[in-house]
Amino acid sequence: MVSLQNIFRRFSDFRPTWGQPLKNDAELDFWLLGATLAVLSLGLVMVASASTEIGSTPLYYAIRQAIYVAAGLIAMIVVMTIELQEWQRFSTVSLLVSIALLVIVLFMGREINGSVRWINLGFFNLQASEVAKLGMVVYIAAYLVRRRDEVRSQWWGFIKPMLVLGGAAALLLAEPDFGAVVVLLVAVLGMIFLAGVPLMQYLVLMVVCVVGVIGILLTQAYRIERLKTYLDPWADQFGSGYQLTQSLIAFGKGEWLGQGLGNSIQKLFYLPEAHTDFVLAVLAEELGLVGSLVLLVMLMFISLRALSIGHLAERAGQFFAAYVAYGISFLIGGQVVVNIGVNIGLLPTKGLTLPFVSYGGSSMVMNCLAIGLLLRIDYERRCLMKQKQRREASND
Amino acid sequence: MKNNKNTDVRKKKTGMAPYMGRLYLIFAVFAFAVSIIGWKLSDLQVVNNERLQGEGDKRQVRYETVAAHRGIILDRNGRPLAVSTPMMAIWANPKEMLGKNLKPDEDVPVIDWHGLGRQLGIKPEDVRQKVHSYSSKGFIYLRRQMTPAKAAAVLDLDVPGVYSREESKRYYPAGEVTTHLVGFTNLDEKGQEGLELAYDEWLDGKEGERRIIKDRRNRLVKEAETISGAEPGKELMLSIDLRLQYLAYRELKQAVQQHGARSGSLVMVDVKTGEILALVNSPSFNPNNRKSIKPETLRNRAVTDIFEPGSVIKPFTIAAALESGRYTPGTVIETSPGVMRVGRNYVRDVRNYGRIDLTTVLTKSSNVGVSRIALDLGPGSLLEMFERIGLGATTGSGIPGEQTGGLPLMRERWSKIETATLAFGYGLSVTPLQLAQAYTVLAADGIYRPLTPLKRDVVPQGVRVMSSSVVDQVTEMTTRVVTQGTGRRAKIPSYSVAGKTGTVKKVGQQGYLDNRYVASFAGFAPVKDPRIVTVVILDDVGGKNYYGGVVAAPVFSKVTGGALRILGVKPDEVAQGSQRNIVAKNIVAKNNVTVPNGKG
Repeated sequence: MVSLQNIFRRFSDFRPTWGQPLKNDAELDFWLLGATLAVLSLGLVMVASASTEIGSTPLYYAIRQAIYVAAGLIAMIVVMTIELQEWQRFSTVSLLVSIALLVIVLFMGREINGSVRWINLGFFNLQASEVAKLGMVVYIAAYLVRRRDEVRSQWWGFIKPMLVLGGAAALLLAEPDFGAVVVLLVAVLGMIFLAGVPLMQYLVLMVVCVVGVIGILLTQAYRIERLKTYLDPWADQFGSGYQLTQSLIAFGKGEWLGQGLGNSIQKLFYLPEAHTDFVLAVLAEELGLVGSLVLLVMLMFISLRALSIGHLAERAGQFFAAYVAYGISFLIGGQVVVNIGVNIGLLPTKGLTLPFVSYGGSSMVMNCLAIGLLLRIDYERRCLMKQKQRREASND
Repeated sequence: MKNNKNTDVRKKKTGMAPYMGRLYLIFAVFAFAVSIIGWKLSDLQVVNNERLQGEGDKRQVRYETVAAHRGIILDRNGRPLAVSTPMMAIWANPKEMLGKNLKPDEDVPVIDWHGLGRQLGIKPEDVRQKVHSYSSKGFIYLRRQMTPAKAAAVLDLDVPGVYSREESKRYYPAGEVTTHLVGFTNLDEKGQEGLELAYDEWLDGKEGERRIIKDRRNRLVKEAETISGAEPGKELMLSIDLRLQYLAYRELKQAVQQHGARSGSLVMVDVKTGEILALVNSPSFNPNNRKSIKPETLRNRAVTDIFEPGSVIKPFTIAAALESGRYTPGTVIETSPGVMRVGRNYVRDVRNYGRIDLTTVLTKSSNVGVSRIALDLGPGSLLEMFERIGLGATTGSGIPGEQTGGLPLMRERWSKIETATLAFGYGLSVTPLQLAQAYTVLAADGIYRPLTPLKRDVVPQGVRVMSSSVVDQVTEMTTRVVTQGTGRRAKIPSYSVAGKTGTVKKVGQQGYLDNRYVASFAGFAPVKDPRIVTVVILDDVGGKNYYGGVVAAPVFSKVTGGALRILGVKPDEVAQGSQRNIVAKNIVAKNNVTVPNGKG
């Protein structure tokens, strides 16, 4: 296990690189770090703006979100000090922890809005699915590396991780947290796809997953209701379509440059969850199309940057790192697309946060942690490249 | 990228290079998702945003009226007679207070009924009951016409569903003195009586409208814009002079009390312009406190009550006689023996005046004398004269409730008694205002000008309805009424007065009542260049003193005299004025004791 002492030692090893990255032979991906910090800042401002009226004090949610951002940044730094191979070594542990959390939440969870998603830790409500998503990605990445040939050649090779995924999905659906299932499914399918599963087998798997998802959609009455709402939110605009229509109104009010920061009317009790799932609607109302497109571009940049970090790692032969980066890319990208899709009525309503922006501690810390992982992956690859260069230079 | 040509899985199972084709596919999916989202965002926010904005406005935007103040009413010198002061109405949304329009997950608000009741000045239980009994309504008034400070105290409680609304309250500084003429408004500032009613449209402000944005809890977020500005009502300047009005009201009220009259009216007119300078009635009421108003005090009797004018009409009978050319002021008429049989009826004088000239007929107010003249002239010329001076038609003053009075219709056959009584003012009915109109014609050298309660910028030319020479002769004769006839108590120090008294039996259910009278005096001053016409009517005078010359004339004297001095009219009897006044007083005092003389 990674002892505290080890972490500390590694942190001090790491420090010179961190302190003078440009002078050292390896450097950090400042594009990714910069985009992340920019989105975090914008998100913090928007959460503060969207929540002024709904908390007991105007800054009630803003202060908490600031603390979560700080915690996320600390998590990011700590993760950057941990060698990636540690994650690979303890991938099974991360799977077990994930599954354990998903089970615990079903028995000891706190129910909010009809879903049991949070484990009360006293000072903090931990959202099990946020931890599980990253845990699953790490496990699947390690599995794909371990059984790469098997995965690429045999059915059984990828059926096994799919069974594990199915178990996790079942636990998530029990909460219920359909959104997390979709995002996790997207991430894992994407990882397997890029890991080189034969296309025919992959297509069969896709069909199975799509049929499964549709089956789940149709089995539960409230999901059908949501689906109807999604098709025509204005039909029941004061009932099931209320939230979506209010969100759409916010977008419509935004126009090009928005009503100005702090001037959203929809956040004044018209739009429920204005500071969490629907924070984008408030941003769109206050900052306009320009603001919402800038945020969309920055978030997709983060996701694509993760994809490119994975690609470079794969080329460098660091497969575990590559798969983890792919998984994170899909987790973030998928969640961004689903959340925005829900906000603008392209997808049926489900409870998913907007990464780095929405109010919420678990999501914030886990996403920052994922960025930390990406930075570490890129850092290790750069170190490897420098070593190679030096070796080649000395060989010459 | 250059080194990677192996996109096929099967060819390179264990290859180090990534699957570039798949990566591109993923990238394409990303790009697709982003472009779909970008397209949808543009559509919602910029391209097709009207409907969404409209839906948003439906929920957020409310239109509120902006109170417009009602125009102020002023007297001729700019003193306020009716002003609007800003007030607040507290209203409630019972649905909101009782939590009827909440979503299931929202809490029903807790209402501080006790605090609310205390600040409203209503029993908390009553407030609670009222709100509950209107629980399906979205708007009820809790209390209206609160001062802004008290309303603020209510709003400070921050009770959900309780709001305020600007309104204003009409205040009448002169109260009971002007209320019959000025009238009053209701709580919504709509004119109900008097000139407030007649000129409601002129005085009424046009409410403005403004667009406001409210949050879902119905709280004001911001005032967006003004749709239409509030247009305050226009001010109305009356012709009355508040100083004269006060004077007239005080004297009239005192006379009504002193003589036990049921009511009294006084109208004062500016001879030069036809403007009404004062118009008062007693009893009156305070329009600022309407809780204890007695219905009988509401009437503006000066225009709404008709009565038989009696002897005050005689100057016009005489005028008709002079106009006929068959009479001069010196024409002698036989009135012996003081009673005259006309058909089956008798016309009586107070006593036998014997053979007297026309002037004396008027000064002594001889009924027999004027009856002879009337029978000689016939009813046609009398009625024609009365019509010319404005009787039997409204004055056109525009004061609400004004009666036309009535002249008998001209017809083929007249009984003699009808013709005779017409001469001394029975068988026709007039309002005090009409009487003032008639005397104004006399005072204005025979020119008829319609009366008005509003200040005149341009004096109408008027129509001549009597020749100057007739007017001069009648004026001379009516001056004698005051100097030596029945109207001696109408004298004013330093000013000459012309006028006529009247005492009329009241009509009851079985004909004329024996001891119920209407006492009147109508006249003008100063005689040489008349400025003011004043008509004083005291209705249903009780007691021993009921003659117009005793009851109404002193009121005329005090009010007209005061008015002339206030208006700065040059005295026309400088030297002897005060002395003669003393003499006159003595004479009056003596007469009072010995002979309560001459009917009217």
